[in-house]
Amino acid sequence: MDFEFDEGQNDLQQTAARVLAKEYPAARARAVAEGKDDAGDLWQTLVSLDWPGLAISESDGGVGASAIELAIVLEQLGYVIDASPFLATTTQFAPLVAACGSVEQRRRFVGGVVDGLTGALAIADSDGPWALDAPTVSATRSGTGWELSGRACFVIDGDRADEVAVVAGTDGAVRAFVVPGIDVRAVRTPAFDPSLHVAELDLDGVTVDGDRMLDRPVDAETHGNPRDLALTGLALTAVGACQRAFELVIAYVREREQFGVPIGSFQALKHKAVDMYVAIERARALGYFAATAIAENDERRSTAASMAKAAAADAQDIVFRHSIQMFGGIGFTWENDLHLFLRRAKATSHLMGGATEHRACVARAVLSRTDLITEAES
Amino acid sequence: MRLSFDESTEEFRREFVAWLDANLPPVEQTVERPRSTADIPPWARAWQRSLFDAGWLVPGNPPEFGGRNATLLEQFVHKEELTRRAVDVSFNPQALGIIAPSILTFGTDEQKRRWAVPILRGEMTAALGMSEPNAGSDLAGLRTRADLDGDHFVVNGQKVWTSGAHDADVILTFVRTDPDAAKHAGLSALLIPTDLDGVTRRPFGSIVGPNERDFNEVFFDDVVVPAANLLGELHSGWQVMTGSLGHERAMLWLDHARLLDQFLSQFGAHIAQRGLDADPAVLDWFGNVAMDAQALKLLGYRTLAKTRRGITATEQSILKLFGSEASQSAYLHALDTLGAESLDHTVRSADAQPYQLDAYTDSWFNRYLRSFAGTIAGGTSEIQRNIVAERVLDLPR
Repeated sequence: MDFEFDEGQNDLQQTAARVLAKEYPAARARAVAEGKDDAGDLWQTLVSLDWPGLAISESDGGVGASAIELAIVLEQLGYVIDASPFLATTTQFAPLVAACGSVEQRRRFVGGVVDGLTGALAIADSDGPWALDAPTVSATRSGTGWELSGRACFVIDGDRADEVAVVAGTDGAVRAFVVPGIDVRAVRTPAFDPSLHVAELDLDGVTVDGDRMLDRPVDAETHGNPRDLALTGLALTAVGACQRAFELVIAYVREREQFGVPIGSFQALKHKAVDMYVAIERARALGYFAATAIAENDERRSTAASMAKAAAADAQDIVFRHSIQMFGGIGFTWENDLHLFLRRAKATSHLMGGATEHRACVARAVLSRTDLITEAES
Repeated sequence: MRLSFDESTEEFRREFVAWLDANLPPVEQTVERPRSTADIPPWARAWQRSLFDAGWLVPGNPPEFGGRNATLLEQFVHKEELTRRAVDVSFNPQALGIIAPSILTFGTDEQKRRWAVPILRGEMTAALGMSEPNAGSDLAGLRTRADLDGDHFVVNGQKVWTSGAHDADVILTFVRTDPDAAKHAGLSALLIPTDLDGVTRRPFGSIVGPNERDFNEVFFDDVVVPAANLLGELHSGWQVMTGSLGHERAMLWLDHARLLDQFLSQFGAHIAQRGLDADPAVLDWFGNVAMDAQALKLLGYRTLAKTRRGITATEQSILKLFGSEASQSAYLHALDTLGAESLDHTVRSADAQPYQLDAYTDSWFNRYLRSFAGTIAGGTSEIQRNIVAERVLDLPR
């Protein structure tokens, strides 16, 4: 057992931080948020660094590292609130296709990601959480292919991905179809995080070739890995964004003087700062716990992913409230960068289930442990 | 990052479990219960001694001090197995966790033989004399005086909150030996046997009840203490004190983590029995406790690993704060979830655990009350937040 990064992981973290500070400074994040830049080149930069293929197996053409390496990059991307399609492509699209696709489908779509193909995953129901039991989209046979009907909500990058993996109910089972992005009618949601692409997809009448239905159904056996990675990815994105907001406010209260002293010397602010710090450390620890559990296929992986997601939401809640409050009037302005990071942290906390849903998942998992049942009977 | 243990650590675990199965005293022997944190009933003394002799008491220690030079991971699984079985290795926890390690760190060979070994073997009980009526959070302001006079010290003053003092054979007492030096510079640490003339111990009831007497006032009136009882160098008591508290804080998170895990099983059983698993409010807080328990273990273990490699771990300072507040919140939720049902003060929160202090299975109300010891003793949560803000976050003083 070991909860520290190894040398290679430390190097990756430092490289990611250095590259992203240069490629995607806050000024660029602001330009994207204000619609003056689309950061279209960022994805190509990430592809040239081989990061999209980090957690993709070597047999699918990837780097063959683990979910831990992917998590490290995701936290750093959250720290700069990148506007690239990295999150959905690597933690939602690729894992689902890898879990359900045939060798040929994996080569085509997962291997494609390594070379720069972007993807999205349409699985959420209209309330947001991972909706495997009751997909909002259905598919019926049509000639040699399939015809889809229904709508999918809250699809990250659904408006711009090259390919969208759509989870749909069929007669017998829940299946996934890889639909070319160009065939999907997508309306981008005007989200409170302006640089996050979230879309509602209208799939009525969309036809898909037979070879684009993934080989294996989306079921208890195949959906675990994609679910856990998707949740962990969102969680670490939020952790990175929280860390950035936290650093901004700490730097500010060290400098800002009132009553002749830095306001950071006041206990009322110190104690808020520590509460933010503790919440972020908790969320980060649980985030990497989830990534490690996924990497090792540990039996606690799904619970760990729910813990990560809920803890990131908790951290975001505290950081959001305290950082604006501690900045005071300056924190209330558009010109201050703080809100850019808070927007990403809150948006990612709300997607695929918030703190309440995931805490309930954790509670149910703990309650199902056999030692509890034994104790209750004795 | 890795979650699984290597084979040699698992072998260590199997060896310990087998030893526990063969050597844990039978339940019927455990009827006599300790009355304070320095009262070890005869059966528990024998149990502690058998752990010492077999090298399972403090596995990280060398064999002559009750261990087997175990690795960090081995020490961790040792704690894990004890937690799983709700077994404590000593009913005098401050002696095992703080006083003995301080003597082993700062003591002479003679002091280790004379004090540390009997304490570890459960033959001598010990208490920790730190706080005074006017030295709580501001510990360096303590006033109990010890004047060196040839081969002995003369001690005068008062300690308070001294847990278990009335049942302790010796008190590791922090005293002022140089009244002219700066606050932190004039302190020393003395091992003061409680049977010396002039030592008066007065136990008093805690918030839990008038008969729950663990805390003591301890008065020293012209107590003559041999100079040989000085632990560490003269006037270097502050180093001993921070070292002692360091020992305490390095492992305190493990106790909170252990209690949180135990809480999850105990209250999990209540939820199962009452069908509360359909109540979203209960699932919400209960899931949160499970997250706190897991996060505490992750942060604590990482910190411990760094500390053992000689790296100052900034996370260390948040563990006590986080662990104590997480426990407090868990007990409050348990109490409120049971509602009126918790009103009967005599109903225990869980079945009695023969190998642990009875406090761990006391009523939910009492457990909630006791949780405030965690957020007050050993540096209040407010002091902890100041320390983290200034030393970790580098905010101005």
